[in-house]
Amino acid sequence: MNGGSFYPVSYSDTLIAFPSRRRAASASKGQPVLKFILRRIGASALVLLGASFLMFILTVNSGDPLQDLRESNDPNRDQLMAERTERMRLDDSDWERYWDWLSGVGGCFTGSCDLGVTINGIDVLNLTQQAASSTLRLITLSTLLAIVVGVALGIMTAIRQYSGFDYAVTFSAFLFFSLPVFWAATLLKEYAAIQYNNWIAVGQYAPWTIVIAALLAGFLLQAVLGGSARRRLVTGAATFGFVAVLLFAFNALDWWRNPMFGIAGVLVVSAAAGVLVTALVAGLRNRRALYAALTTVVVGVIAYWFTAPLLVNEPSWLLLIGLFVVSLVVSVAIGAAWGGYARKDSMLVTGITGVITSIMVVADVLMAHWNSFLGVKSRPISTIGSQTPNFNGEFWERVLDMGTQILLPTILLTLVSVATHSRYTRSSMLETLNQDYVRTARSKGLSEREVIVKHAFRNALIPITTIVAFDFAALIGGAIITEQVFGWKGMGALFQDGLRAVDPAPVMAFFLVTGIAAVLMNLLADIAYAALDPRIRR
Amino acid sequence: MKIRRLSAAVAVAASGALLFSACTSPAGNDDPADGESTATSAAASGPCKADLGDVETADGEIKMSIEDEFLSYNGLTPEAYSVYNSAVVDQLFGNFYYFGTDGTICTDENYGTYEAISEDPLQVQYTLNDEAAWSDGTPVTYADYMLDWAARAITEDGKVTDDGSETPLFNHIDGLSLGDYVPEGPQADSPDAKSFTYDYERVYADWKIHAYPPLPAHVVAEQAGVSTEELVTAIQELDMDVLKDAAEFWNKGWLSKPGEVPDPAIAPVTGPYDFKADGWESGQYITLEANSEYWGTPAATKELTFRFIGADAQIQALANGDLDVIQPSGPTVDTTTQLEQLGDAVNVDTNQNLTWEHLDYNFNSGIFADSLEAREAFAHCVPRQKIVDDLIKPIAPEAVIMNAREVFPFQDNYEDVVSASYDGRYDEVDLDAAKEKFEAAGLKEGEKVRIGYAAPNPRRAAEVEAIKSSCDQVGFEIIDSASPDFFDKDLPNGDYEVALFAWAGSGQIASGENIYSTPGTQNYGGYSDETVDEAWKTLSSSTDEAVHAEQLPIIEKQLWDTLYGIPLFAHPGVIASSSNLVNVHNSAAQTGVLWNAEQWAANTAS
Repeated sequence: MNGGSFYPVSYSDTLIAFPSRRRAASASKGQPVLKFILRRIGASALVLLGASFLMFILTVNSGDPLQDLRESNDPNRDQLMAERTERMRLDDSDWERYWDWLSGVGGCFTGSCDLGVTINGIDVLNLTQQAASSTLRLITLSTLLAIVVGVALGIMTAIRQYSGFDYAVTFSAFLFFSLPVFWAATLLKEYAAIQYNNWIAVGQYAPWTIVIAALLAGFLLQAVLGGSARRRLVTGAATFGFVAVLLFAFNALDWWRNPMFGIAGVLVVSAAAGVLVTALVAGLRNRRALYAALTTVVVGVIAYWFTAPLLVNEPSWLLLIGLFVVSLVVSVAIGAAWGGYARKDSMLVTGITGVITSIMVVADVLMAHWNSFLGVKSRPISTIGSQTPNFNGEFWERVLDMGTQILLPTILLTLVSVATHSRYTRSSMLETLNQDYVRTARSKGLSEREVIVKHAFRNALIPITTIVAFDFAALIGGAIITEQVFGWKGMGALFQDGLRAVDPAPVMAFFLVTGIAAVLMNLLADIAYAALDPRIRR
Repeated sequence: MKIRRLSAAVAVAASGALLFSACTSPAGNDDPADGESTATSAAASGPCKADLGDVETADGEIKMSIEDEFLSYNGLTPEAYSVYNSAVVDQLFGNFYYFGTDGTICTDENYGTYEAISEDPLQVQYTLNDEAAWSDGTPVTYADYMLDWAARAITEDGKVTDDGSETPLFNHIDGLSLGDYVPEGPQADSPDAKSFTYDYERVYADWKIHAYPPLPAHVVAEQAGVSTEELVTAIQELDMDVLKDAAEFWNKGWLSKPGEVPDPAIAPVTGPYDFKADGWESGQYITLEANSEYWGTPAATKELTFRFIGADAQIQALANGDLDVIQPSGPTVDTTTQLEQLGDAVNVDTNQNLTWEHLDYNFNSGIFADSLEAREAFAHCVPRQKIVDDLIKPIAPEAVIMNAREVFPFQDNYEDVVSASYDGRYDEVDLDAAKEKFEAAGLKEGEKVRIGYAAPNPRRAAEVEAIKSSCDQVGFEIIDSASPDFFDKDLPNGDYEVALFAWAGSGQIASGENIYSTPGTQNYGGYSDETVDEAWKTLSSSTDEAVHAEQLPIIEKQLWDTLYGIPLFAHPGVIASSSNLVNVHNSAAQTGVLWNAEQWAANTAS
């Protein structure tokens, strides 16, 4: 079908593309990287300048800033209109107003930034800082999640091309990609917030829900893992049994209202993660890496045992960040100590394992506080806002509150980005897998893991870097609707409110931030290229 | 093929989920049983606030939605003046009067009393409650009203305004109107007097709503570096050295940095609520807490939180308990349907408010300018009943055709005014009469009629469509000439035959003079009629309610007979509140549901 045309086209493409890329690379060889970056920044600044003028003119001509007053029947309407005309300088030419704005922005270089004031006389610089921090908070997590999940899904679907799993992911990717955000938000609010909150008040599954959930899990897992019919059946049945028993146990323990994980849970899950990471990165045959990963987990859990009182009794962000850094340093050191001939691999394995163990530790502490959190906030998942007004819980309850508030918009943004990321990764991975050097790698007897992780995946990442960088820049602007439906006042609201009032200052501030983000991300993508692609580095 | 079938099935399932979600929004509150008997508690018998007896502030928080950020403690500057800013500051300041649920002027005797001690020349005496005080302990006095007068009277050049058209020193939304009518300023014996009089230079029909809640003179004086007495003297003597500093602070000093609650030292309050320390998160919410120094009936609930949320997100937030009271702007049929689906968990209150929609003829040019028959022909074919039935009743079932301009269907004197001015001839479409008049006017088949309004506006587009399908049968050719800059270009240029828009009622008695008399500043169509002019003059130069009641039907009748335009309907309003709350009622006035916010309380009966 349509995917089949990949073979010949990509093959011939590569033949032509290689020499030309070489030429480009060698042409830039004589220029230092700094010069390249400076030239790029210079060109981007010019583009931004031109675009800012266009944007300004479009904004001030997009409507009538006096509209609300024209329809008013206030006796001193004319006076109000004159006042606003003077305040917003509506009688001056667009040129003058633009110049004024530009000189204000120019002040940023001399330390006296002035982005103007809104129609309500509020300082836009301050407003932009608040909006940008709110938007960044909203999109950072979803972007990270989308990259991890999207790339992983893309690789899995590429490896298992034309399987049921591939079709299912492809279909859902298209479904989520074409989903109108406001509608998906409405559904999410309905089921993940309102219905969930109704349910968590009791926190018990009905028996038939358990059966259906277990069936679904069994079906999904066998589709992902694949294999012969017999193997699929066994996978499915085992998963069904496991999930059903687990859910009944949760019911019996009232787990959803009193979740617990415990130090043993941290140990088991982190160890499993460690093994998985080793298998992916270094291969299980590399015993040193495996032992290094397991040592990291054990050290992490022992450290948890000693720091737990601190975490529960005197938590702070500083403590969390400090512990995280320490755990990262210690894990990498463990990797280096165990390393041997493959020290780099080993350090990577322990580093990742260390991060996962830290996350598990935090998850355990959070779970332990879930019940008291429910006591403070009986309907945990909110449909609006970035925080519960006047929420006064302890540190961990506040963290949970922030988490439950950010949950729905994050899910939504992630779904949409995962769709694109998985598609790009899939096609890029497929293309790489069909390259000659992959075939060579296979024929010289490398394990499939090594072929995929070391030879194919790394090369497949190159085009994805660009997409991810652009996506991040676009998300800042693209979160307008998400922000609006979930009541986050971020960059989107800044833009929208400004445009509605035909008020150029906030619109231009939005433009500046998104424009600069796009330029920077693009630059970052170019630099990342150099790191990923040895041909460019040379 | 297999894939296609599967995806089609999932697509159907997905769209089914949409429909499903639309019909089954359940209520957020767990116990529907206690949502029944809320209406009984203190139902107001009239348009004014009910007397709740002894109220003790109960702990708790009520979350209300407003659609935009709080801006400033001083909501009287044009920058900060918005419906949403007023929603917050209205809770902070007491005043001599407030608007009841149908726009009636109600007095607040907690705060003070006022009366006209002489009708002509008009003299109004205000007497503040002896206990009335700012939350920092300073009594509310004559000095505060002196500052209020200064802000509405003194020009940039340091004079008292002559005709209200000069550039003012203070940036007040009301301009210089008070100085225009009361050039001498309020009169009292001493700066700390509790009673003072306004001596009007000429009669002002709307004297009852001339007092704004004052801003604290003692704070402004301190900021200008003088004592309160010195500030009062400076105002009396027009000492610009002091006044410039005072105005500078008045204009800019109270504008808040988003998220920073105003310092209590410069922002004392006189209302039932006060700012809560750290209670403002920029872009998210602002919380007010009961003013512990309030001398009157205290707020029923300790905390009132305004969350800044757009209209589309409000209903689900109400269902999830993130909000307790909502008032979505621009309610549509969907709003009411979705709210109804929440069942017993919420109380929904629809009404008609003081904004009304109308069709106005262009008297400056075009086919309607000189021909009464042409106007009558058009009036006969406009399907007013159908427009109300199709577009308004689904939102607010009590909606009716509006047959007057200065009174609203839900007001007491509506029946009297309408029966004296209009016989109901344009209620239903009468195509035969329309055709007759059409011919009498000498119009030819295919006569173009441009109906102008500010786009985009789906409801007005639907109205024009309804008019087109009816009036085209008469021989008109209706053209929908909506444009985004209708008020900016088409209306002043006269590029329309009929203008379709709404006036927001201000509660003033004489504000219509600007619209219907010659040459009123808002008489866009250029209508002119001697009878109407004279009646307005009589009305606006009298404070006698009997005179008002006598002149109003004269004006309305003449406007109907000469067909200034065709009133259509009062805009519908929808509010909803959690059924756990009592005393939440809708109001037609601009304050909306918030008109009695300090009376809202959790239902303790169940």
